[in-house]
Amino acid sequence: MTAVRAVLFVPEMLVVLALPPLLMSVIAKTKAWFGGRVGPPWLQPYFDLHKLIQKNAVYSKTTTWIFRAGPIISLAALLTAATLIPVLSNDSLLGFSGDIILLAYLLALGRMFTVLAAMDTGSSFEGMGASREVTFGAMSEPALFLAFVVMAVATKSLQLSEMIGPKLLPEWQIAGPAMILVVGALLVVLLTEACRVPVDDPATHLELTMIHEVMVLDHSGPEFAFITYGAALKFTLLGSILVHAAIPHPEGFNVLSPPLRVLELGGLAVLVGAIESAMARFRLNRVPMLIAGATVLSAIAVVLVLMRRTV
Amino acid sequence: MLQSAIDSILVLAVLLNLAMLATSRMAACIRTFALQSLLLALLPIAVGLRHETIPGAHAFVITAGAVGLKVFLIPWILLRVLRTGEIHREIEPFIGFTASVMLGAVIIVASFAFAKRMPLPTEAPTDLLVPVSIATLFNGLLMLVSRLKAITQVLGYLVVENGIFVFGLLLLEQTPVLVELGILLDLFVGVFIMGIIVYHIRREFDHMDTHLLDALRES
Amino acid sequence: MHVLLIVVPVVFAAVCLALPGPRLRLASLVAGSGAHFGVTIWSWSTTFPDEADSVFAIEPLGHLFVSLVSVLFAATSVYFVGYHRKALLSQRIFLACMLALLAALSAVCMSRHLGVLWVAMEAASLAATPLIYFRLSARSLEATWKFLLMSSVGIALALLGIFCIAVAAMKAEPAVSLVYSDLVSHAKELDVLWLRAGFLLALVGFGAKMGLSPLHSWKPDAYGEAPPPVAALLSGAMTLGPFIGILRVFQVCSAAGLAEFAGGWLVVFGLVSIGTAAVFVVGNNDYRRIFAYTSVEHMGVMVVGVGLGLGGSYAAMLHAMHNTLNKGVLFFMAGFFWRIYQSNRVSDVRGALHHHPTAGILFLGGLCATCGLPPFGMFFSELGILFAAAQKAQWWVLGLFTLTLCIVFVGVMTAMLPMVFGPPPENLKSAPKGEGRWRNVVMLAPATLLLLAALVLGAYQPACVRDALYAAAATLEPLRTESGAAVARGMEVLP
Repeated sequence: MTAVRAVLFVPEMLVVLALPPLLMSVIAKTKAWFGGRVGPPWLQPYFDLHKLIQKNAVYSKTTTWIFRAGPIISLAALLTAATLIPVLSNDSLLGFSGDIILLAYLLALGRMFTVLAAMDTGSSFEGMGASREVTFGAMSEPALFLAFVVMAVATKSLQLSEMIGPKLLPEWQIAGPAMILVVGALLVVLLTEACRVPVDDPATHLELTMIHEVMVLDHSGPEFAFITYGAALKFTLLGSILVHAAIPHPEGFNVLSPPLRVLELGGLAVLVGAIESAMARFRLNRVPMLIAGATVLSAIAVVLVLMRRTV
Repeated sequence: MLQSAIDSILVLAVLLNLAMLATSRMAACIRTFALQSLLLALLPIAVGLRHETIPGAHAFVITAGAVGLKVFLIPWILLRVLRTGEIHREIEPFIGFTASVMLGAVIIVASFAFAKRMPLPTEAPTDLLVPVSIATLFNGLLMLVSRLKAITQVLGYLVVENGIFVFGLLLLEQTPVLVELGILLDLFVGVFIMGIIVYHIRREFDHMDTHLLDALRES
Repeated sequence: MHVLLIVVPVVFAAVCLALPGPRLRLASLVAGSGAHFGVTIWSWSTTFPDEADSVFAIEPLGHLFVSLVSVLFAATSVYFVGYHRKALLSQRIFLACMLALLAALSAVCMSRHLGVLWVAMEAASLAATPLIYFRLSARSLEATWKFLLMSSVGIALALLGIFCIAVAAMKAEPAVSLVYSDLVSHAKELDVLWLRAGFLLALVGFGAKMGLSPLHSWKPDAYGEAPPPVAALLSGAMTLGPFIGILRVFQVCSAAGLAEFAGGWLVVFGLVSIGTAAVFVVGNNDYRRIFAYTSVEHMGVMVVGVGLGLGGSYAAMLHAMHNTLNKGVLFFMAGFFWRIYQSNRVSDVRGALHHHPTAGILFLGGLCATCGLPPFGMFFSELGILFAAAQKAQWWVLGLFTLTLCIVFVGVMTAMLPMVFGPPPENLKSAPKGEGRWRNVVMLAPATLLLLAALVLGAYQPACVRDALYAAAATLEPLRTESGAAVARGMEVLP
């Protein structure tokens, strides 16, 4: 890593950390536009975070330290993951060969503590949300990992920043259909993991229909701010994996590349907003079908890529 | 460019198989079939374009025949038969929807594995042709055996036929137009008769469930 | 001129559609199949030049089969005049479909191109579908649906098989067309892997249409529910179409040096079919379904014969010929019994010999013929297959073949003999007078003629018939040298 890159990482990480609430705002604006409304101000998510940070947290008497640790550990796990995933440039801060394994465990760790914190409240609602979260999380993982297999085979690398980097460019020419399938699968995984429509509806306040939101009902104050920020960060990170896989930028440092990535992420947020406006949430028993479909897409992509490799 | 267009069509056709296995609404299923047939009907021209600048009349005749029959006429007949009945959904097939999608995916993977072991003696338009054909064929068979409604069984048969159509692309130059048209004509008459029979089944049993057809068995 | 065999029935079918009255249409049916029969007889008296580029041609195997089809259709059309009373399905469509079936089967037997063969075969099964639905009842509907679905799937697999063979043919330079004689002459250049796949698919696919186990399940339903004359056509003539399809593919395979592979699979499928028939015949209480299972058995026997080769091929041809004649007799009599007893159940039909001696004797004769009792031809064909198995030292085949045939024999005879002998039930209608009498004569005459033909051809075989069978069997093994032919001739079992 050259010194220039080392210096450049500082502003890059700052942008990455500042970006997520803005993307949430883009989604909200898109939905408002589809609904013919003006929508909240662009900086509303930042105001919300600011407001929450200043409040005091309220804890139920039945909760233990796990409840307090949950949001912090989840956010910490996601922040660590942010160092492994390339967002604005083709490089990640701490990438190393095999880091997708660590990434998987970090995501799982974050989820585990959110779930534990939800169960710690002893509320049946939160327990139900936790159960759904774990179910769908477990189902979407094969889809994500089969997609990683495709890219690992295509680029012959196990380092995330290389797998979704410039080496993927020729793959789009050799096995275009397979890559389209991978992108489709990643989109479904993104919608599932980030708890968006059609899997989950972050906007409703009916506990029976929610998955993620129902788990965090009891959190308040700064901890709720961590959770909100963490959800946005998760969207940004998974979204940038999707964007990098879909539109690989050529090798080398390019001044235009980072702004372009920001625009692409914005485009993705618009797309998600459009999906939320156009579709209704699936019935809960249809969701496994959707995720299974994503797994099947990834599996077929694996077959296609393997076939082209060895011919 | 053309190559990846052909590849994309084939992959999309395979995915539409899974979509058909996943849908419970029969009308949607029929439309998916029509879409799949439309995509596949484009292939003779696309394959023809690879060889020469202008594909032969042969390719156009087949495309026109396939579009006319499998995209318009047959779906129209099936939708018409469907409209006469009250039931529009496939309820409780022998194999559940998620399970049949998974089974379909297994079939697809197996077809690719199988196709690798059967090297073609000549150069094919694309190496996806054989596996996609086999996968479509067996997905059609899966639909045929796992569904209860007569209409879905007819659709399964048509999907089998689509799989064979894909395989026939390998032999585009070899098969006389007469034979291709004969195949299409037979297909049409077959589906027409099936449509009539489905109509009679519905009238006879007030249903389109083929599991009501179990009077004949060994005593 | 052989195209006449296809054109004549088509023309008469069109006439049938155009004619106004039911009687005129029946006349057109008889005239159509009669004319077809006439053309067939005439075709034996001339020789045909080898036309290399025509779609249809007459060659020994197809000629034999088309003649069998023609004979059975002629007999059935006469029988149908007596059988037909009230029109359930539109009589116009029914008769036109029957003639269309004749045309399609003739086309199957004579087509040189495998693709054309497939198209004609599918046309035949589509033409047969309305025939099964004749009664318009729930049960016949079920039988029709099963027939249609099963044969559609079967024929689709067969098409895939033919395409695989076409892929195999692409290996040759320049690519060989799907005309089977070209395929046979270029057999050595074909791709063996794809040829194997093609053979198996074609065997399963055409086997489903022919009624080979395990895809035979439509057969008892269709034969049980279709009107008996239609069942006679299906079992005697319709089965020859897919059989010739299998034989064409087999010809290509054996020319390519795959005779052992292909023959082995034929023997396996055949034995499984005979075994299935043996399992289901015993204890069955529906005589038409029993006949259907004997049809499964006979298909199995034919396929085993071809698979064994040598004298077996000749025996298979002999068996195919007698199968056509016997199935005609049996189903004609089944229809006759249905008229008398109004039941398909074995236990309801008793004492036919007392009630109607002619019918009883004919039925008994048909039973003996179909079970392979000595004066009839099937005895010799089955014996020939046993000899072929013995000569090739395939003792397992020989043992299984004998055992299962014996089971079928016992099963059929124990079920059917009480139908012929014993006292008839009390409440039977007395012998009909007037018009009914005329009807009985028209129904029994074709059965008598077919049974006589079976008896004569079994007991004494004219040289012309023997040569025809021999020529047909010889086409199945192009690799067989003159010495092999001599061996086969020596193996023939003839009275």
